[in-house]
Amino acid sequence: MAEEIEEPETLDRLTRGTRARVLGIAGEASTGQRLVELGVIPGVEIKFVRAAPFGDPLEYEVMGYRLSLRKSEAATIQVEAL
Amino acid sequence: MSTARSVTREESANRAGSPVIALLGNPNTGKSTLFSALTGVWQKTANFPGATVEAKLGSMGLPEGREVTVIDLPGSYSLAATSPDERVVTQTLSGRLDAVPRPDGAVVVIDASSLERNLYIATQVLEYSFPVVIALTMVDVAEARGIIIDENVLAECLGVPVVKVDAPRGTGLDSLRSRISEMMGTSRTALALSYPSDFQRGIETLQERVGSFSQKLGYSFTRPEIIRLLVDFSDARVDEIQQLLDPGFAEDLEKIRKQSAGGNTPALIEAQARYGAIGGWVQRARQRGPQTDNTWTDRIDSVLTHRVWGSLVFLLVMGSMFQAIYAWSGPLMDGIDTVFGALGEWVGGFLAAGPLQSLIVDGVIAGVGGVLVFLPQILILFLFIAILEDLGYMARAAFLMDRLMSRFGLSGRSFIPLLSSFACAIPGIMGARVIGDRNNRMTTIFLAPFMSCSARLPVYTLMIAALIPQRTVVGFLEVQGLILLAMYAVGVGVSIPTAWVLQKKIFRSGVSPFLLELPTYKCPRIRGVLRVLWDRGGSFVRRAGTIILAASIMIWALGYFPRNEEVLQRHQAERESVEADFANQLEILARGYRSDLTAKGLKDHAKIAPVFESLSGIYEEHETQVARLEEELAEEEPALTKALLVAKEERTAALSSLAARGKLEFDLARSWHQARLTADERLSDIESCEAGELLAGSWLGQMGHAIEPLVIPLGWDWRIGMAAIASFPAREVIVATLGTIFKLGADTDETSESLREVIGQARRPDGTPLFTIATALSVMVFFALCAQCAATLAVMRRETNSWRWPIASFTYMTGLAFVASLATFQIATFFGG
Repeated sequence: MAEEIEEPETLDRLTRGTRARVLGIAGEASTGQRLVELGVIPGVEIKFVRAAPFGDPLEYEVMGYRLSLRKSEAATIQVEAL
Repeated sequence: MSTARSVTREESANRAGSPVIALLGNPNTGKSTLFSALTGVWQKTANFPGATVEAKLGSMGLPEGREVTVIDLPGSYSLAATSPDERVVTQTLSGRLDAVPRPDGAVVVIDASSLERNLYIATQVLEYSFPVVIALTMVDVAEARGIIIDENVLAECLGVPVVKVDAPRGTGLDSLRSRISEMMGTSRTALALSYPSDFQRGIETLQERVGSFSQKLGYSFTRPEIIRLLVDFSDARVDEIQQLLDPGFAEDLEKIRKQSAGGNTPALIEAQARYGAIGGWVQRARQRGPQTDNTWTDRIDSVLTHRVWGSLVFLLVMGSMFQAIYAWSGPLMDGIDTVFGALGEWVGGFLAAGPLQSLIVDGVIAGVGGVLVFLPQILILFLFIAILEDLGYMARAAFLMDRLMSRFGLSGRSFIPLLSSFACAIPGIMGARVIGDRNNRMTTIFLAPFMSCSARLPVYTLMIAALIPQRTVVGFLEVQGLILLAMYAVGVGVSIPTAWVLQKKIFRSGVSPFLLELPTYKCPRIRGVLRVLWDRGGSFVRRAGTIILAASIMIWALGYFPRNEEVLQRHQAERESVEADFANQLEILARGYRSDLTAKGLKDHAKIAPVFESLSGIYEEHETQVARLEEELAEEEPALTKALLVAKEERTAALSSLAARGKLEFDLARSWHQARLTADERLSDIESCEAGELLAGSWLGQMGHAIEPLVIPLGWDWRIGMAAIASFPAREVIVATLGTIFKLGADTDETSESLREVIGQARRPDGTPLFTIATALSVMVFFALCAQCAATLAVMRRETNSWRWPIASFTYMTGLAFVASLATFQIATFFGG
């Protein structure tokens, strides 16, 4: 790549124990709807708690509860690290 | 088409009987516990049309003696209709279903420890104008984490009463009942959230658009329904409206959606509006105490989801669960078998031999036993599921297994139902209720019968023991063991491509979303666990039991009728001739003792008859004792060899003391006894032979002959074909049927030496052996894959609420079993089996 285009950071790339703020969701409509209903909406803080033994799925803390997402689902959520 | 209904019916549902309130909320909020605490033991269940979930209906008493009906709706995070199972919640609230009455009010259960997410569905319910009460649960869990909620402030924010309840301890229930009582019959201004103006306009435009055909529809949509129509992409009503009422609707809706969301999705706009309001309320009502970051749940999870320890604990839990279903249920199932066998004999004793006796003993009693025999496995699985679910471990199990299961297009939730299906598919299919995603659940239910269950073992055991040589290959591997393993592999092997086809081609869903809440660990409640067992066991017996019983009686009738008179008469004549022979022998014995003594005189003889009685008694006791000891001897040798010797000595002593009373009488009684034994043996042979001939001539036998051309390529003959049909109620029935048709009597089981021998010796009309290794393999493969289990099909019908699935399953499995069995026989024959 000639110009450095910064790839948007996604939720699956957080390191364990770190927090991020949700910027947007770019996934399938039905999965996206589920995610926003469960509280994963822009502006919300989300923390990566741990991964399952074989690296997938991943566990997050959002709105005071624990939510597990597959890596592929987490990859549709754009975040900015805090 | 559940949405099309008339206004009059809607009204009549309201008028009839007591007022109705709906109980709803997120999963894991203690909603079910609250439901049982409010309504007690007596509940009904209602099926929703087109959905696989069910609503529980219970009656609750209010302070001033009024009664209300409570509907326990499936736990859900939102009223959005992302699947047919979830749509029922919205449809119930709007009174669009015939199966459940329209509610006059609602209780929303809210978990205090994750207030924001729980309030989401509450904001949706509050947009209806019926009265609502909020029940705040898990207050202790929240307080332990430093979260304190002021319910009065929350009530003020929401505009409805908020009651703190602890259903397991019974606190707050009276207060909840009073609030419900006060609210009944009142009306409320629906919550008006401040949506962005574009979205607000979208709702109004859509309302007008829908108004144009509400006349034709017979009712008008409520505002919450309009919001759902605007937001939910997978709302099936759009197609319905498009086809029936308004061909241009879908296109217009798309336009309205675009305008209302302004570059975003309507779902996001809705969620932001709701969480925006919730954020404000929570800030006012919740006082955060000291933040405890490393909670108990976290500490437990760092072990239970650990790569090494977590996997170990998981294997241990699954291992003991499987062991329990497989092994603990054994004695219980044997017990049920024995009880029903004895019951059949006892009842049979009161009835004259004939069709009625056979119907009651072999049809009804055996059929009921055949239903109840599944209960131990169902109850043991649900004991584990209920405890693990209450604990919060089920979600962790799904978390751990998801990666493996997602390779087959399933999710981690499918693991436990499929694992338990190796013991029995019935609890497995019922256990699939824990899977939220409909497609995933259907796929799991469809795959469950492919796991080799314990009912296939008798078939495998019999075939392997009778025909597969005991040989060791490559060191320690036994051919017999390898073949058994191969049968388990066949089922799993077939289920993988089946899962793929179902997910990709039938449901056309991509990988289904996972999105799993990992609830905090909680201590299981005994009452809750018992209720789950009672519910699951009861629902199996009531709903599936009738179908299983009907199938058993149908197969009984096919095997019993028609009764061939010639066969009956011929065997009756043989029986009479045996009795005549015996009478003759007795006559000779009597004469030999005293020339004027007749057989009848002998039976009344004061000196001989008692000796005969004692002798028979000694032999009978001895026989049962020795038989029991010899059976046990196989297990623990040294102690029992001695017991056997003692038993034999005791018998000899008893006989000598009897002989000492009179040698002549003793010898005579012994000859008499011998003659009787011989006669009884011949009678029992005649019985078995008659049963075999009658079965061969029955409709079942005729069906066997009719399908013979079909099964010859499988290496079978009409007898095996018939036994396969007869095993429709349950696979293991094939063993007893083969016992009958090979004239050994129906009481033979797979460990019976004589059945193994007879199977080895059975011949075709041309004199070649009926069973070869190739035939045995073909029978085993057929039974590994076929759907010969009425109970599985009945439970499938019950759990999917439709005959479509069991019919599809039966057709697919039978077809697959036939093809696989054909291939097995042809290949095995080719390689010289």
